Amino acid sequence: MRLARGALALVVVALAEALLASYLPGVARYCDLFTILVVYYGLTSPPPVAMLVGAGTGLVEDILLGTLIGMNGFKKTLLGYLVGTVGSLFMLNQTIPRFGILFLATFLDPLAELGLSAALGRSFVFPGLLHLGERALGTGIVGLLFFWLAARLP
Amino acid sequence: MASPLAERRPFLLLLVLLTFNLILMSSRVRGAGAAERSMLQQAVLTLVSPVLKVTTWAAGGAASLWLAYIDLRGVRDENLRLHDDLDRLGSEARQSEEARLEAARLRDLLDLKERVEYPSVPARVIGRDTSRMTVLLDRGAGQSLKVNNPVVTPRGVVGRIIEAASGISKVQTILDPNSGVAALIQRTRVQGIVVGEGERGLRMEYVSELASVEVGDVVVTSGLDLIYPKGVVIGVVSSIGEGEGLTKIVRVRPEADLRRLEEVLVLRKPEGGPGEELP
Repeated sequence: MRLARGALALVVVALAEALLASYLPGVARYCDLFTILVVYYGLTSPPPVAMLVGAGTGLVEDILLGTLIGMNGFKKTLLGYLVGTVGSLFMLNQTIPRFGILFLATFLDPLAELGLSAALGRSFVFPGLLHLGERALGTGIVGLLFFWLAARLP
Repeated sequence: MASPLAERRPFLLLLVLLTFNLILMSSRVRGAGAAERSMLQQAVLTLVSPVLKVTTWAAGGAASLWLAYIDLRGVRDENLRLHDDLDRLGSEARQSEEARLEAARLRDLLDLKERVEYPSVPARVIGRDTSRMTVLLDRGAGQSLKVNNPVVTPRGVVGRIIEAASGISKVQTILDPNSGVAALIQRTRVQGIVVGEGERGLRMEYVSELASVEVGDVVVTSGLDLIYPKGVVIGVVSSIGEGEGLTKIVRVRPEADLRRLEEVLVLRKPEGGPGEELP
C-alpha cells in the first residue's frame, strides 16, 4: 500500500516538476521536489520502502531530465537509505529537524554526484555554494509544506 | 530475535539497488557512442515509459488548462483596461466636442463683434428664469453696460438690459410680453412692433391688413425704437392671422435660440442715437 501511494506520489511530483520546469523555471531552480519525496518517505517509512521509492524517483528523474540513467537512481537510493536509517534511529517528526534533513539532503545530492562522476571518469561541475544554499533553503520550505499537506491527506 | 540476514535486509537491498543503478550507468557510459541501447536500459525505459507518458500527458493537459486560464485572465484584464480607456476617451471626446462647439460659438460672436460698428462687450449667460423672459449676464455696470443696451447673438436679437449692477446685469428677452421692438419685414419693408408672447413666441403688431407679408419672411429691427440697431434679425414669420380692425396678426418665430443661450454680445449703442443698420 505504501509503495502504491509512493508510486502515485511520484507521478504527482514528476508532473509538478515538469510543470515547474516548463512554466516557472525560476521556482524549479530553487526546490527539488524529488528530494522532498524521498526524504518524506525516508522519515515516514521503513528504510526498504524509502530506498525503493528513492530508486524509482531517481530513475524517473533521470528519464525526465535526460541525465545519465542510473545517476539520480543511485543518489536517491542512497538518500532514501540514509534518511530512512536516520529516521528509524531518531525522532525527526518536528519542523526544525525535518527542515535540517531536507537542507542536508539537498547538499548530499551534488556531493554524491561528484563522487560518482569521479568514479565513472565523468566531469562534473559542482554548483556554487550560494546557489546550493538557496536551493536547500527552498527545498526545506517547500518540503515542510509537503509534510503539512501530506499529513492532511486521508 | 531477528536473524542476522533479516537485520541486514535493508543494507542488502541498498546494495542491490545501488548495484543496479551502477550497472545502468556503466553500461550507458561504455556505450556512449553506440547506437543501440543495452537490454537493461531498454527494460528500464519500458518500465518507466508509462510514468513518463502519464506525466507528459498530464503536464500537457494541465499546461493547456493553465494557459487557457492565463488567457482568460488576460482577456478579463484587457477588457477592464479597454473599458477604462473607453470611458476616458469618451470623456475626452465629450470635452473636445464641447470645446469645439464653444469655439464655434465664440468665433461667430467675434465675427458679429467685428461687423457691429458700436463698441460691444461679450458676456456669458449665468442664469435665467424658467419662462425665458429674463436672463442674467456676467457683465454689468463695471464693464460700462447700461440699461437699454441691446443684447444680440450671431443669429439675432435677444433683448435689452433692464438692470445693470457691478459684474452682473439682467436682460429682458424679446419673449417678455412687456418687451417691444420696432421691426420691419425685410422683403417688403412693412413696419410694425414685435412684442413678446412668452412661451408662444413673438407677435408683430400694427401691420396693415393690406401689407404684403408671407410666411417665411424675415423680420428685422427697424431702429426706430432708438434701442436696437437697424437690421438685426428678430425672427421669421411663422403664421399670419386676422387682427382687430384693419390690421393683421403676424406670428414670428424668434431666430435666436433663447432656450439655449450661452454667450451673447451686448452693444453699447450711443443712448438716443439713431439706429444704424448692421451690414
